[in-house]
This record gives sequence, structure tokens and C-alpha cells, in this order.
Amino acid sequence: MEEESTSHGTAESNATDRIKLNVGGKLFETTLTTIRSGGPDSLLFALSNRFSNDPNPVFIDRDPEIFSVLLSLLRTNHLPSTSRRFSKQELADEALFYGIDSHLRSATSPPPFSGIDASIVCSIRPASEGLPSTFTASENGSVWIAHGGQLSSYDWNLIHSATVRTHLDEINSICRVWPEIAAVGTDSDAGLHFYNFSGSRHVGSVHWSDPLDPRIFKARVNAITASENSVFASFDCPHRENCILEVDKAKLQIVSELGRQSGNQAKHMAPGKLNWVPATGVLVGSAVTGGAFGYSGYIRLWDPRSGEVVWETNEPGAAGRSSRFGDSFSAIDVDVEKLLLFKLCSKSGDLAMADMRRLSNDPWIYLKEKNPSLWTDGGDGSNSSVVHCYKGQAFVARGGELEVWSRVQEVVECESERERESDGEGVYRRNFVDKREDSEKGVIKKIEGGGDRLFISREDVEGIEVWESSHSAGAISVL
Amino acid sequence: MPPFAGSHPTGFLTSQQRTDSNIVTIDVGGQMFQTTKQTLTSAGPKTFFSSISQTSSLFTPFIDRDPEIFSLLLSLLRTGNLPSKAKLFDLQDLIIESQFYGIENLLINSLSNPEQLEPFNLQKSLQLPLNGRDSPSTVATTPYGSLHVAHGSKITTFDWSLRRKSTVLTHFTAVDSLLALSPSLAAAGANDFSGLQILDLENGYVKDTLNWENVTKSGSTVQAIGSSPEQMFVSFESSRRNSNSIVVYDLHSLRPVTEIAHNEIYGADIDSAIPATKLQWIESHNLLMASGSHSGPSGVSGNIRLWDVRSGNVVWEISEKVDCFADVAVSDSLNAMFKIGVNSGETFYMDLKNLGAEKSSWVCLGDKRKVLNGKKEGFGCKIETQGNQVFCTKGGDVELWSEIIMGSSNNRIFKKNLMGRVQDMGGAKITNLAFGGSRMFLTRKDLQCVEVWQSSSREL
Repeated sequence: MEEESTSHGTAESNATDRIKLNVGGKLFETTLTTIRSGGPDSLLFALSNRFSNDPNPVFIDRDPEIFSVLLSLLRTNHLPSTSRRFSKQELADEALFYGIDSHLRSATSPPPFSGIDASIVCSIRPASEGLPSTFTASENGSVWIAHGGQLSSYDWNLIHSATVRTHLDEINSICRVWPEIAAVGTDSDAGLHFYNFSGSRHVGSVHWSDPLDPRIFKARVNAITASENSVFASFDCPHRENCILEVDKAKLQIVSELGRQSGNQAKHMAPGKLNWVPATGVLVGSAVTGGAFGYSGYIRLWDPRSGEVVWETNEPGAAGRSSRFGDSFSAIDVDVEKLLLFKLCSKSGDLAMADMRRLSNDPWIYLKEKNPSLWTDGGDGSNSSVVHCYKGQAFVARGGELEVWSRVQEVVECESERERESDGEGVYRRNFVDKREDSEKGVIKKIEGGGDRLFISREDVEGIEVWESSHSAGAISVL
Repeated sequence: MPPFAGSHPTGFLTSQQRTDSNIVTIDVGGQMFQTTKQTLTSAGPKTFFSSISQTSSLFTPFIDRDPEIFSLLLSLLRTGNLPSKAKLFDLQDLIIESQFYGIENLLINSLSNPEQLEPFNLQKSLQLPLNGRDSPSTVATTPYGSLHVAHGSKITTFDWSLRRKSTVLTHFTAVDSLLALSPSLAAAGANDFSGLQILDLENGYVKDTLNWENVTKSGSTVQAIGSSPEQMFVSFESSRRNSNSIVVYDLHSLRPVTEIAHNEIYGADIDSAIPATKLQWIESHNLLMASGSHSGPSGVSGNIRLWDVRSGNVVWEISEKVDCFADVAVSDSLNAMFKIGVNSGETFYMDLKNLGAEKSSWVCLGDKRKVLNGKKEGFGCKIETQGNQVFCTKGGDVELWSEIIMGSSNNRIFKKNLMGRVQDMGGAKITNLAFGGSRMFLTRKDLQCVEVWQSSSREL
């Protein structure tokens, strides 16, 4: 409290620190520190410099009511309740005018996402062809949705900002390459394509070809991911031969080819999911197929500089605990921050975790449900499942149900806790994120987190759900 | 709080008096306010306002805050209450500003004071939703109305204004006993988990784990938690269920002070095998009420004991064989103990005046004939006392018992009312009942929310 009161120029501040503003005819008085907190590039900062010796108030020809909201924001770092009179768009535009949009963003963005305390805040529905085929979220909470060959962009306020019509009929994989440029691929057509939202145009394409092998032709893209400088896309020919191409982000040209394989077995399929792990510079590819005999697939880690496989596991058939034989994984994800691999076992329904820094023959730790009433009766194989890691939590969708595995904060004095803490099993807990009625809306197809939001698309449901945590109690009046 | 407690009899000061002035002028966000030093110092020492009141009157302090909300808080300083136009503002804004000026306690006092609880004027008014699929297992409140709700392995905390919440994950699969130590600190325990955890609910970590060292060296599960102004009482049972005890901790240092009611179970002594499942401090008698019951093939049996914590002796006890209690509570101001019979579902009272006298026995307040019909009508009913009132839950309803003072008669007269309007009656079975600030909190079976009952005049 003390720091706050000093930073806001209080009783002791002398008159030269103060500034009077006349906004649209209404007088405001504040301090230079407050008005300059928007940073040196803001309009308010510039105004405060120019007139500091002028006794007349600075005149700004804008709406005074919105200004009073924004002034409160600068003073308290909270949006006052009066801000509800204005639309998000109005506030964002006005904040941009004064150059304090970053303030507004930090005050309106949701608190750190916590799966144990999240609720649906809204659903984003594109205006036409609203069934999303895929989507991607970015770190500032904006999202790009691919629907019916169109790409729609929604900004951090979840306001529609642009739509691009691509030449593809349906987009099945999407990746953010630059803030305005998306890389897209499809099951039904060949090549990796780049589209720019500003100007809504096609800016390039990449196809896999091999001058020595004429059969490499019409390769389709299965998965895309991006590192700082490159885009990685897994290509798959009609005769199932496949590889991963590294594409330079700046030139949009192929740099190298890695992991080429014949595709004649489950363990040589094209990876259906690619993850780039920036901390270790490793590319993680995984493929899963489900058939009459259960699931099979692989996880493989490449070092793209050498093109070598660093580690891999195939299921079924991998050496491992005999008790887990025949319990191959049905979904995979990588926690790129905590360097963990998560797999969901198809038969038992258990979630397993592996530390990427200590990968060995059998690195898996199986997380157990401690609450007997929540034990799953095992995956029956027919349910589709998705695993997604976000903010150190693992989100698991089984059919339409969404659960989260989150780590319990360690006990400070853990002598009494026996050795349970050390092997990591005891510290993860499972909770449902959704309510029962949410799970009946449809089978979850994709989960992605970004900007402390969790985006979820469901089979045959228009639009994508947005989940957020909130500190607001959200009391409902029942009078 | 007299704002004009100084030398001036009225609030009006003549212009001559201005020079030695008691009047303070403050410029808030460009708007001028005038008030007296007394008003400012009533905010308490070391607050923002008291520092302003000490500055010389020659210069006008400038506060770079919103003037409109300041005017409301100034009224709060002057009268102790918010003006009615505060209804136009969001309470959250007022809280943030009051925190800036360091007078949030005045706001809490005016809006969420336990003395303002009006039992006859409570109406169902809010629902606090909980995320996820777990319905609340237990709730705990602070005197000024902060609320902790345990649901599944999570504990969600609502602040006194019921505007903000936060949720933390615990080690428990379900929390069975919860005690609010402060708005951000709780003691939690479970029947299937060893040790009592002191949880920091703001940052979500375990501050301390308290264990009871029992003879068999097995874990110690928590059966009940209670507190007096100075002490915390925890009823532990060993994981092997062959011993139980009530450990007394100092509420501030959380160090064990003493241990009472230690039982080691040998053979078939049912009575000592029952750990206390409810602990309540009786301030007026300086005694701890501990009750526990056991459901066996021959029905429910239990015991209620009153402990003198300092000597560790049982002052009074009663064994319940017929129509045992489903829940017990003691009212300090009525000087009586109340129970709901598990079989009859009726409410009983016992005067604490003639405790120890042979004739002390339960007096049925309802239909006396229902006592022996073998059903378990009172199963799961809760009873809580608050001031002169006794609140009992029956299924989805809350009964409010109050004493009518007639003077002449020897027998005390208690009458009941069903709380709520017709539309509020019934509903899912009530699982928890708690009071905090001027509000009553209810949770119901299989509903992932907390129901808030408050008086229309004290609404938040």
C-alpha cells in the first residue's frame, strides 16, 4: 500500500508535478507520474511534456467519459465498473488513441489460467461455415480459426479482425508463422501454403519433391509447427512415403528434409502432430492410429540440425512394463515449458508422464486417480481423446468430458509426506474442468491454450469455446 | 464515532475559527473537499488520512484518485456508513479505493458486521457458483463474512464482499473439516488423510502440517476442528482407529498446548472408540463441547462431553442411546444445548443452568410421540446457533427456533418458523449451514454452488 501511494503522487507532491487536462470540456487533474505511466511513446506522455509550464489546461478533443475510465485505469491499474458502459472495442480504440493500450490489455486480460477454476466465458462463432476444422491460439489470447476454407482472426479482445478465403476447401492444420502470416495444410490437397491476413493474400507455397524419385508427388501436409526461424511440416505422399520439411520462415523456402520414411507400417507413418521444444531445440513428432486391434503409434524426437533421431518409442511393442503391454497410447502432448511428455493410455485410460531430460527405455510415470469415486472404467477405445498441456497442467478430453491434471503445491515441510513427493506420482491431481451438461455438447476435437485462455472445439458444434479463470465470484442473484 | 468530538459543539465553524483551523481542505483529482481533522483521524492511526490531517493547513494536499468515490468514502468516515448513492457504484470499485486509503475495515464494518445479522429478515438472495463437478463438502467462515468452501480436492475462497474468489488445490481427495483462521488462512483435515494442514489460500501452499503422535505410530486423521478466541481444538483419530484424542493448539503460534480426551481402545468399549466429530467452544462456561456418534446394528449411539480444557477433565457428559443426536450445538446467549434427534428428527434443548444436577435431560420442542419409531428422520440434519436463535436444517428447509420470554412460566418456550418464502422452500437437501458477517450460507446436495441468505437492507 505504501509503494502505491508514493507512486501516485500523494499529499506531499508539489504543484509542478500536477497537470490539468480539459477533455471534451470536462476538467481533470492528475499527476505527471500517472499520465506518463503509459510510456514515452504515448500521446499522454507527449502532451504532458509540451505544456508543463502552461497554466491553462491541456485540451484534448475526445469523449470525457471514456477518458475518466482510462484515467482511473492509469491511477489504479484496475478498470472501474463504469467501463461496462462502453464496448470492448470502444475502450480498445480509445486506449490506442492515448497510447495506453498495453495498460488496458494487462487490466482486462484474464488471470493465470487454472484448470481447477475455469468456466466458459464465451463462444466464438464465425459468421459463415461455422464448423471449425482447426484453430490456433497465440500467447496474447488471440485465435485464428480455420472454417470451410476460410481463415478468421480474432484479436486479444476476441473481436473479429479479419477473414481470408484460401484456395483450399478445408484446412486441417494451421500454424502461426508471423503475427500476420499463417501456414496451412489440408488432407485433400497438396502442399504447405502461407497466407497473410493484412491484404488477405496468398504469399507462398512449399511442395515436397525429390529430383531422384518421381514418386514423391502431391504430398499433403499432416502437421505443422514453428520454431524461432523455421517452420516444420510433415508431408505425406499418396503412397504413404513421408518426411518432415524444415522451411525457412523469412524466405519461405525449404531448408532441409528429415525423418524420411516409407510409411508402410504404423511406426513409419507420417507424424500427425509436431511440437517444437525451444528449450532443448528438439522436434517432437508423434503419430497414432486406432484400428480394430487397438491403438498403435510412435513418439520420436529429432535434432533438426543433424536430422538424427534422439529418442523414440513405439507402441505396442516397446520394451516396458509388462503390466502396460497392450495399453498403447491414444493421445500425446508435450509440455514445452516443463519439458514433459504426456501420453494417454488407450485401454486403462491412465495418463502417463515422462521427463524429457531423462528419457530412457521406460521413462513413463503413471499418474493415478486417488479418488476412488472418480476412477474411470478404462477407455473403451471408441472414445476419442485429446491431451493438451498448458501452463504446467495437462488437459485431457475423453469424448465430451474435459479434465485437468494439475500439480499440488509441494508441502513445505515434507518429512511426514514419506517419499511420495519425489517420484512425482503423488503431486498430480485430477479434476473435472467442465460440468456434466458441458460434456454433453459434443466430442472434443481440439484443445489449445493461449493468453490464459483455453480454446476448445467440438465435433459438429459451430464455433469454439473460450474458457477462462476469473477472480470474480460471479454471484448470481436469485431474488 | 462522533465526528465533532473536539471543542466545537456543532459541525459549523465560523470564519474566524478558520485560522487555527480544524478544517482540512483536500484536492482529489481536481475536486476540492473540506472536512475536519477529527473525521480524518477516525480512519485510525497510520492511515493515509491521519497523515494528511497532520500536514499544515497552509497547503492543500493533492490526491490523484477518483473524486466521486472519494466523496463516498468521506461520508463513510464521517458517519460510519455509506450514503445511499453508493448503490450506483460497483462495490468492487469502492473496495479498491478503500484499500488505497487504508480504510477497508470501515467498509467491512459497515457492510458485513456480524452484529447486523437479522435472523428474521434473511432471504435467499445470491448463488455463488463453483467451477468443476464437485459439490461442496464443507464450508467455513470468518466473523466478517469471508467464506472458504471445500469442494473435492479444491478450496475456493470468497472475500467478505462475495465479489472476488480464488481456488487452490489441496492434497486431500475431499476435505471433511475446515476452519477459517483468517480470510486467507484455513485449517483443513479429512477422515482419510493423515494430518491437519494449515493452508495459505492466497498462494496455495501448505504452511504447516500438524500431526498427532499416537501410540501405534500410524497416521492421524482429522475428525473435527473447533476454535476458541485463543485456541484451536482438533479431534484426531489414529489411522488404525484404535485411539483418538483432542489436541489443543495455540491459535497464533499453532503449537500444541495440551491434549485432552485421549482414548486408547481395548476390547469392545464402544463409547471410548467414538472420536469427537463436532467441537464447539462455550465461551460463557469456558468449556469445550465435544460430541461424537456411531452408527451400529443396534442403532445410533453417541456421547456429548463438556471438557474443562485447562484441567483436562470431563465436567459433564451424557450418553445417547435412544434417539441419539444427529447434530448438537450450544447457544451461549440462550445458555442451552440443542440437538436434533436422529430418529425423531425433532429438536430438543437442555438448559445449561442446572448442569450436573440429576434432572438434566432433553426437552423435546416438537412432537414427543415420534421418538421411538425407528426411522432416521433426523439423519444428516444440521443445527447451528447464532445469537438468540437456533437454526436447524430439515431436508431442503431451514427451521428457525427462537425463545419467547413470558416471565411467569418455569418451562422455557421456543417457537419455530420456516425460513424463506414459498418459492425458496424445499429443494435439494442442505448439507452445510454457516454464518459469516450478516449472512447465512447454505450448500445443498449435488449442487455446485453456495447459497447466500441476507437481509434486504444489508445486501451486498
